[in-house]
Amino acid sequence: MIMSAPVIRPDGSETPAPVDEGVLVQQARRGDLESYDELIRRYQERIYATIYHMTANHEDANDLAQESFIKAFQALKSFKGGSSFYTWLYRIAVNKTINFLKQRKNRIHLSLNDLDFNTEHNPDLVALISEKTPHREVNLAELQEKLNEAMLKLSEPHRLVVVLHDVQGMSHDEIAKVMDCNIGTVRSRLFYARQQLQALLTDYLK
Amino acid sequence: MSENEDNFQSLRRLLVLKQYETPPPGYFNNFSSQVIRRIRAGEKVESATPLEQLFGSVFGLSKLLRVLDAKPVFASGFAGALCMVLLFGIVYAERPDLTPQPMLQPENASGVSLAALSPTALAQPVSQVGIVSSTNPVLSLPAVNANFGQQIPLAQPVSFQVPHF
Repeated sequence: MIMSAPVIRPDGSETPAPVDEGVLVQQARRGDLESYDELIRRYQERIYATIYHMTANHEDANDLAQESFIKAFQALKSFKGGSSFYTWLYRIAVNKTINFLKQRKNRIHLSLNDLDFNTEHNPDLVALISEKTPHREVNLAELQEKLNEAMLKLSEPHRLVVVLHDVQGMSHDEIAKVMDCNIGTVRSRLFYARQQLQALLTDYLK
Repeated sequence: MSENEDNFQSLRRLLVLKQYETPPPGYFNNFSSQVIRRIRAGEKVESATPLEQLFGSVFGLSKLLRVLDAKPVFASGFAGALCMVLLFGIVYAERPDLTPQPMLQPENASGVSLAALSPTALAQPVSQVGIVSSTNPVLSLPAVNANFGQQIPLAQPVSFQVPHF
């Protein structure tokens, strides 16, 4: 990790401070791949997760995430700094993913990641599987599959809003910037998408 | 809006499940290095000499190599395909029902011997005649000097009609 001058903690120990994002972007624009490597490390998990939740396929998400970072590096010279690098990078990844999904159309192939072992310690999720739902009892893996199938039935813009807000915890304002639309559109899309999901998953909700 | 949020409480609880879907352990350790390698590979192609670019564009090799370099899955698939082609070639070549076709028609087929067609060939030294590629040789090659001055005659079984002069 690229660090700048060390920061002195209250206890007297020194830790290197992370370099400012703007500095890294400037250096990467000049072709410094070490700086760009640092930028990738900062955002790789969020970019990958967004693409993965949109595609429900690990291999596709891996390819698209890599290509998004490559495209962003190639387009860095055109980055004016009007938005944060993070928002700009997100836009590239989201556009790439939506184009990919449009080309793929109905050829859906799930390749889901395993659930973290901490899943079983989440009381809300445990409640969903331990208490009998109106029609059936399910385990976590089955619930995961049903949830992903339902998500894939949403249109790309609706799915994206759910992913960014309900899964990744982004604010309406941030989502509006990424999707290049106004906050009202984000809210209405989120409402409609949730309604659809609720209808699709009614058997699995209390 | 808060009323709407309340309506979707259980759905939002279920959506939390997505946060627990994680890629294989160690996946992100090599992610950035893979991206950087692909960027470097792309730059290498851009900075290639015109000759290299021509070679790459004509045969599409540079693109293929870049793809193989960036995605090990493709590289292993490509290697597997090459192995299959090689195996197929070996099996096909060793099929017993395939007999080699003679380059020259056998004498019986035409009824006339090759020597009869060109009688002067026998009179000429072998060095002038050159090597005749045939499964039905009509020439006796001269003896070859082996080590220690031994003469090893090179005799080949032939079956031809003696030309009538």
